[in-house]
Amino acid sequence: MNRNKLLPSLVCGFGAAVLTTVPGVKNFACCLIVPVAAVISISLDHKINRSEFPIKAKQAILFGIMTGVFAALFSTFFDALTTYLVHSNDFIEALPQTEDFIKQYKLDYLLNQTMTIFNQMASDIRANGFSAFYSFGILMSNLFVDIIFGMIGGLAGMSFFNKRTTKI
Amino acid sequence: MNRLLIRLILFIALFVWCVGFSYNSLFPNSAYTIIASPFLKKLYGTVCHQHIEKTFLFNRHYFYVCARCTGIYSGALVVSFISIFSLPRLPEKMTLLYFSAIPMLIDVLSTTTGIYSYSKIIALLTGIFFGSTAFAYILAAIENNFADKSL
Repeated sequence: MNRNKLLPSLVCGFGAAVLTTVPGVKNFACCLIVPVAAVISISLDHKINRSEFPIKAKQAILFGIMTGVFAALFSTFFDALTTYLVHSNDFIEALPQTEDFIKQYKLDYLLNQTMTIFNQMASDIRANGFSAFYSFGILMSNLFVDIIFGMIGGLAGMSFFNKRTTKI
Repeated sequence: MNRLLIRLILFIALFVWCVGFSYNSLFPNSAYTIIASPFLKKLYGTVCHQHIEKTFLFNRHYFYVCARCTGIYSGALVVSFISIFSLPRLPEKMTLLYFSAIPMLIDVLSTTTGIYSYSKIIALLTGIFFGSTAFAYILAAIENNFADKSL
């Protein structure tokens, strides 16, 4: 995939990441932001690179994956940036509540280890505004979800554009 | 790839996804639920606003996605389950997909502009309608490209 092929996914992935960060926008679009970004990236690719129709499934999925990857990278970056600026986030705010709940249970070794990691992440964020482990976890979860939804968007975009060109 | 296998994989994936967003409510008394909670909340937060007032409460715990998203995913799950047994004829035109999105769009616009107040039930129903139709189209797109043509 050359640079011109990456550009639509990069732009749309960035746009999707920005939209997921803007408060209120999610109320309208919910889970549709990344799939729509993948559809737009396919459309942009056809405008920029004058690619031919019909779009192949492999190509559509690749665009979906790339859009998802860029969306995940940018939204993780925005999340890390916000956390760095305020030295807090949802995780930190919910941790005392989680600890209160946890005290009600007899924890085995695995759960104890998990709580130790949680506390370590929280103290890193409070002290430095950044926790590598937390950011890695967020990146992984963003990649997982955004790639799946990007692929769905890619496939939806493919059938939409292919059907439209068949009609013409 | 066999059509039935594709449908089975999609059903399992959707089932896992749906169990994930309702995990808190399905296993409310497990310590693992509390440990997994921050991760699951963040994971589903990627695709949903998760406003408490727009989310279903079940077994004293809120789902990780709003009522509309619950509808979309459960609609898709139901159709994916039906598709394993009955193999329904897949739609060819996109008209039905646009049509299925209209009630959801009307509901979103009406609640946002204050024509009527938000109802979880309406959000759920419009979500189910859209989710089930959208799944049929996604399934069609996958099968048209990856399933054995002979089957």
